[in-house]
Amino acid sequence: MEKEQLKKQLKEQIVQFLNLMQVKPEDIKDDEPLFGEGLGLDSIDSIELIVLLNREYGIDIKDPKEGRKVLVDVNTMVDYIEAHRTK
Amino acid sequence: MFYIHHTSCISPQKTFADIDIENAKAPVENKLLVVEPVYESIPLNILRRMGKAVRISVGAALPICRQNMDGIIIGTANGGMEDCIKFLNQIIEYDEGMLTPTNFVQSTTNAVAGQIGLLTSNRGYNCTHVHRGLAFENAVIDVDMLLKENTSNKYLLGGVDEISAYNYNIELLGNWYKKEKISGSNLYESNSPGTIAGEGVAMFSVSSVQSNALAAMQGIRILHSEDENQVAEILQKFIQQNIHPGEKIDLLLSGENGDSRFLKYYEACEKVTGKEISVGRFKHVFGEYPTVSALAVWLACNILKEQSIPEHLLKYCSAKKKFSKILIYNNYKGIQHSFILLSKA
Amino acid sequence: MTRILVTGMGIISAIGDGIDANRTSLSQGKTGIGQSSLLSSRYASLLPFGEIKISTQSFREKLLVNEQGITRTSLIALHAFGQAIDDSKLTAQEIHSYNTALIGASTVGGMCLTDELYHDANKHDEGSAYLSSYDCGSVDMFLQQRYHINGVVDTINTACSSSANAIMHGARLIHHGLAERAIVGGVDSLAKFTINGFNALHILSDEICTPFDEKRKGLNLGEGAGFLVLEKEENVHNKNVYAELSGYCNSNDAFHPSSLSDDGEGPYLAMKGALTKANLAADEIDFINAHGTGTENNDEKESIAMIRLFEKIPAFISTKSYTGHTLGAAGAIEAVFSILSLYNGEVYPEINFSSPIVTTGLTPVRSYQKKDLQHVMSNSFGFGGNCSSLIFSKA
Repeated sequence: MEKEQLKKQLKEQIVQFLNLMQVKPEDIKDDEPLFGEGLGLDSIDSIELIVLLNREYGIDIKDPKEGRKVLVDVNTMVDYIEAHRTK
Repeated sequence: MFYIHHTSCISPQKTFADIDIENAKAPVENKLLVVEPVYESIPLNILRRMGKAVRISVGAALPICRQNMDGIIIGTANGGMEDCIKFLNQIIEYDEGMLTPTNFVQSTTNAVAGQIGLLTSNRGYNCTHVHRGLAFENAVIDVDMLLKENTSNKYLLGGVDEISAYNYNIELLGNWYKKEKISGSNLYESNSPGTIAGEGVAMFSVSSVQSNALAAMQGIRILHSEDENQVAEILQKFIQQNIHPGEKIDLLLSGENGDSRFLKYYEACEKVTGKEISVGRFKHVFGEYPTVSALAVWLACNILKEQSIPEHLLKYCSAKKKFSKILIYNNYKGIQHSFILLSKA
Repeated sequence: MTRILVTGMGIISAIGDGIDANRTSLSQGKTGIGQSSLLSSRYASLLPFGEIKISTQSFREKLLVNEQGITRTSLIALHAFGQAIDDSKLTAQEIHSYNTALIGASTVGGMCLTDELYHDANKHDEGSAYLSSYDCGSVDMFLQQRYHINGVVDTINTACSSSANAIMHGARLIHHGLAERAIVGGVDSLAKFTINGFNALHILSDEICTPFDEKRKGLNLGEGAGFLVLEKEENVHNKNVYAELSGYCNSNDAFHPSSLSDDGEGPYLAMKGALTKANLAADEIDFINAHGTGTENNDEKESIAMIRLFEKIPAFISTKSYTGHTLGAAGAIEAVFSILSLYNGEVYPEINFSSPIVTTGLTPVRSYQKKDLQHVMSNSFGFGGNCSSLIFSKA
């Protein structure tokens, strides 16, 4: 899949998976921080995103702390998906 | 004895913003589902995770929590059961593989009291009573003790349960619901086992201060029994203890629910209260569920405030039209019984 | 105000059936956490559990429970409840009195039957025998009916602090004249539902837990039940008395749904409030049975709270390295352990401890010792920030 298409798909999945109300996928900037500022997600969301990566892309991240290094913004997530996806 | 100052109710009827219980909504497929408001006071970031029971509880609680409560006491038999079944389905669907934790965290029965505490930064006493049809009543007893221990405190007291796939199907399989279609007050004429499903939340801010109170919670008594004579005897004692010479009960709010198996308890209690006391019923508008007595208390407060009761709620009307003392009798599945006495403050 | 005395106790856990067996395991530093043999779950062989090595069917036979639809949780509760009643020598008249309260606690209820629940909730068949046994209240409904309890009956679920709150609630009912005596406690059994829930939060350890250790990796789940009989001093006469319940307090951390605040405010307020209620200074506490789950968050924040409150930290351990985290039963089981320490003048060792948490530097008791104790504190801090602290004093 082409990178831009993957970014679009991922943003839709994030919104749906985390049930982000009144956030449109297209409003999420590629380099907008997911945690803290930006989208303002928390530790439970980081676990949920790890599950998302597993279910949609067959990626296995065992340690949530390791996961946080991947889950910085859409760019880092997409890079990781491209490198590690098994689905 | 304590005083109720503010009430808030989200139910299958118009009980939240514009209160209108004259024009009652009928059950649909024998279910009375809540009418949810738009939740302006819940941050979207937190709202997105909430199941219905937590959502309506927080939605009802926040408007009356502004006055800095000293604690939160909730009665709920099933808590966030919608989230429970979602998590359960995940366990089976993914064969105990990688699962998302939100459903689990939100499904715990103390998610309601916990979330309200979180959103109001409340570090006071926090408790969730879950004893099925007496969950709310046990919360009332808890709050009564708290106010005697801390006479200048204010507490949030509430009762909530939701119809969810989980408990609706289980109750259906257990033959707790009517097989025939119920359209409203024909619930009471149906002469068959079963009732209709309901859900809702009522929240109260309570204190020991009488001035400006809406109502006084004068007494409460709970009982487990399958003997209607014992139930009547306890009611007799309850009345003797709480109604003094010269005082009278004006209305019996009965939790009669159309289930023919349990009519005997209501008949026994009505025999005790006698023909001089009007009888009202509420389950054709609120449905049946473990903590519906919280809605009954809300309704009683409303009647005491408005000094009137909609016709469709009346089973039997005596000559008296003034309301200063209301007795609520409820039972859940013919085993758990409660008597609650409310009076004008 | 009347003194509330503990006149009977009942307990079953991974380290033993009954107070003597539990005391023996504690004194010998013998854990009950290990490989599960009864659990039906993908994690049965992958994670250690504090399992009671008695099958559900064996419980039914032992307890003469013939009716259908009684869950493992209810059976375990019945077992410990019966022990407590016998231990306190309550008469039939007292048990059935309108003045005898039963306050129980559970977080699992009948959800230990995860598969049956799944089928019933999704209406796959005609309905199992357990239709009215899934909620937490089902346990105390069962006990109420079995023993004909006619006073106040209640079930509390505030996650890990549930049975500590049940003990508190029973004592308060007595203080307010709503009961003369209260049988209080809690139960939980191992359930696929909770195992998967905690696993989804990444807080289960694949090794036996190491509370308060720098290298702690998480908690182990356990099952069990504990019940106490609380009576007013004037009713006790010549009975054996284990301890006085002299202080208690509940407060809310209000920080996050599943982790404690940085300064451990909820635990701090609960402990401080219990001291106030008991009219004790912090330095009068001789021993603490800590919540100590073995998770990164809890043990550090609990340590911080203890450091804030106690100028000199009393001797403390967490018994969760023996029994696992028994959730709804934890408050009651650990109350029993605290009372055993107090009553017998001894302190049990923390097992699996190597080195203290670097940021807080606290070291629990490392070996069994005889120690004269006057006041013991037992703490339980739960999901949703619900924090409870109990103080038992020498009667």
